[in-house]
Amino acid sequence: MSLADPRLHGPAATETTMPTTTVPSPPSTKAPGGTGARRRRHHAEGLEAGKRSTRTLLWILLAAAMIFYGFPFLYLLFTSFKTPIDTIAVPPTILPKEWTLENYTNALGRSGVLASFINSAQTAIISTVLSLVLAVPAAYGITRYKTPSGRVFIMAALVTRMVPPVAIGIPLASMMSAAGLADTPIALSIAHTTISLPLSIWLMSSFFEAVPKDLEEAATVDGCSRLGALWRVVIPVVSGGIAVTAIFAFLASWNEFLFALLMTAVRSQTTPVVIANFQTQFGLDWGSMTALAAVYSIPVILLTLLLQRKIVAGMTLGAVKG
Amino acid sequence: MSTRKTINRFATIGGLCTAVALAATGCGAGGPTTSGSAASTVNVLVEAGGHAELTGVAEQCKKDAGIDVNFVELPYDGMFNRLSSEFSSGNVSFDVAALDSVWLPSFKDAVQPIDELFTDEAKKDIFPALVKEANVDGHFIGMPAWTNAEIILYRKDLFEDAANKSGFKAKYGYDLAAPTTWKQYTDISEFFTKDGMYGTDVKGGVETEWLAHVLQAGSPMILDENNNVVIDNDAHREALDFYTSLTKYAPPGAAQVDWAAAQNLFNQGKTAMTRFWAHAYRQIPKDAPVAGKVGAAPMIGGSAGVAGVPGPWYLSVPKATKNTDNAKKFVKCAYDYNSMGIESSLGLASRISAFEKYQDKAGYESFGPLIETLNGKATATRPATEKWQQIVDTVLVPLLQKAVAGGDSAALLADAKKQIQALLK
Repeated sequence: MSLADPRLHGPAATETTMPTTTVPSPPSTKAPGGTGARRRRHHAEGLEAGKRSTRTLLWILLAAAMIFYGFPFLYLLFTSFKTPIDTIAVPPTILPKEWTLENYTNALGRSGVLASFINSAQTAIISTVLSLVLAVPAAYGITRYKTPSGRVFIMAALVTRMVPPVAIGIPLASMMSAAGLADTPIALSIAHTTISLPLSIWLMSSFFEAVPKDLEEAATVDGCSRLGALWRVVIPVVSGGIAVTAIFAFLASWNEFLFALLMTAVRSQTTPVVIANFQTQFGLDWGSMTALAAVYSIPVILLTLLLQRKIVAGMTLGAVKG
Repeated sequence: MSTRKTINRFATIGGLCTAVALAATGCGAGGPTTSGSAASTVNVLVEAGGHAELTGVAEQCKKDAGIDVNFVELPYDGMFNRLSSEFSSGNVSFDVAALDSVWLPSFKDAVQPIDELFTDEAKKDIFPALVKEANVDGHFIGMPAWTNAEIILYRKDLFEDAANKSGFKAKYGYDLAAPTTWKQYTDISEFFTKDGMYGTDVKGGVETEWLAHVLQAGSPMILDENNNVVIDNDAHREALDFYTSLTKYAPPGAAQVDWAAAQNLFNQGKTAMTRFWAHAYRQIPKDAPVAGKVGAAPMIGGSAGVAGVPGPWYLSVPKATKNTDNAKKFVKCAYDYNSMGIESSLGLASRISAFEKYQDKAGYESFGPLIETLNGKATATRPATEKWQQIVDTVLVPLLQKAVAGGDSAALLADAKKQIQALLK
């Protein structure tokens, strides 16, 4: 269970509001202040001290993990403010010697960058919508009907995750071209859906599993059809799970590179390809590359912050399953 | 709520989603043109670093021939995959592709001959090694758009320093100047390896420099004219021994040093000399400690004379394009206005006349050494085999990395020979 779990800390849990005297005491047969009471008090203090040290250890581990995961992004961010010579300093420095916004003006002033952002957003939104529209009914059907074919289907969905994207990327590009969809966001969205859909089905299945059947039955007794119960009762309950699934699907498309490389040209090139274009055979423009990467990170960071509550709720919803 | 109402609601939402999706796919934000369909539009697939080279040409082509040019930029590492994918599918999203010279043999069957553009006059104005390389199986399949070669870049300020000059003369018995022999290069490297600085770099991560030494020693590189593997001959071994001998005057970790690392080391003032692609001379950052302090000299010759390995890019027209006429017009524009590439950030061209036009101008001091290197009698392009990139990645670079780390040259070369023979089977 994570440190951020509301069931552990409560919605406004802080250091000071954490329960500190939760150890239940058996009824005492001895007078207060006697040896037994003292032993129990010592025992409680020992437990309390143990809890504190565990918490401290957990916080240290959390901080270490945050630094471990966050440092590359911070380094990217600092590099985006460095002068060209500073970005290639030997040995490298973490903080810029001289702060500059030149990399941002260079990166954002480059032709095609704005268009690539629009393409990325367009592709990610279409792909997310496609994933949810397909994954929600698929996962609902699998979890509620529990047929052998459903089990085969969900395993098959998992197997598709094991196929290397490059193996399907090239034929997919040919198929899209033959269908007249070459170099369009919809072609790339469909390709991205092949990545996010299996994960979405699995995620949504675990969220649907966590919803008691009784809820639907109660809704049916109250006059809802099965679809009505799904729409009015089940989906609101798993809305956190849908948010989690949506953000994973969005991220899968937003950050995807290989299909974008193979399937886009003039019209629908997305930003990851533009970022990669800063590395050329003649050198790597670290400053501009990191500046554009930093800007490209902003929407997903904002999205994550915006949906943070839903994500945490969704994750815990899946966690109580079984 | 009835089932029908619910279904209606789902249908409405689904319909709206579909409508939004379809509206969104009308065209991407990158531009309204469908690849290759508009008769007056030419889509040019180009590696991101080469885009700037062709921008001026595209503007001129619009004025002269009324052709609009869309550039499809891709990173170098992904371009080969993209080309392979589109060529094999028979549907291409571009009308002209800028191809790295090492890819020409791989794609020779997917691109059209452009023999008519290689007039006698054109052949005289293109470096001989490039004319030879562009001709695959009797047809010219690519027009050189720009080329490059390794030259010597050195710290002019250090070479002109009075204390260094006297110290060097006292130690080696001759004047400190840009090296013209490998003996001088070694002496100078040794002299400047002090006080945290190094005389040169040794690049274990790239193969071109060692191959230039092979050419200078008088052998074809890796394969002879009959495609026999000659990597274990004396010239290759001597070249490798010399290459690794410089590691004691180079920064540690030579096995991992590639172009980017070597360029950084030189621009940071950590090395006194480097053998590097000529374009780097004009790309030294203005705020670099070495800015304005760098001199350029031709690549040094060996027993066979001066030799470098050119790094040209060719413009080719795919057989699958439906826009052949305009594609060829663009290639002709690129040849006619080749010198415009020199004004770009990369600052390269492919025609001898274009380089000569600029070589005496301030800021283009690297062009004289570049022309001399490209015209070197032993200068040669890489072997025309489809397996070349694979040979480089799986055999040559690992070989160099082991060699600069102290491996036995003869044994490594013998082993490499077997590997290359297996690849070519």
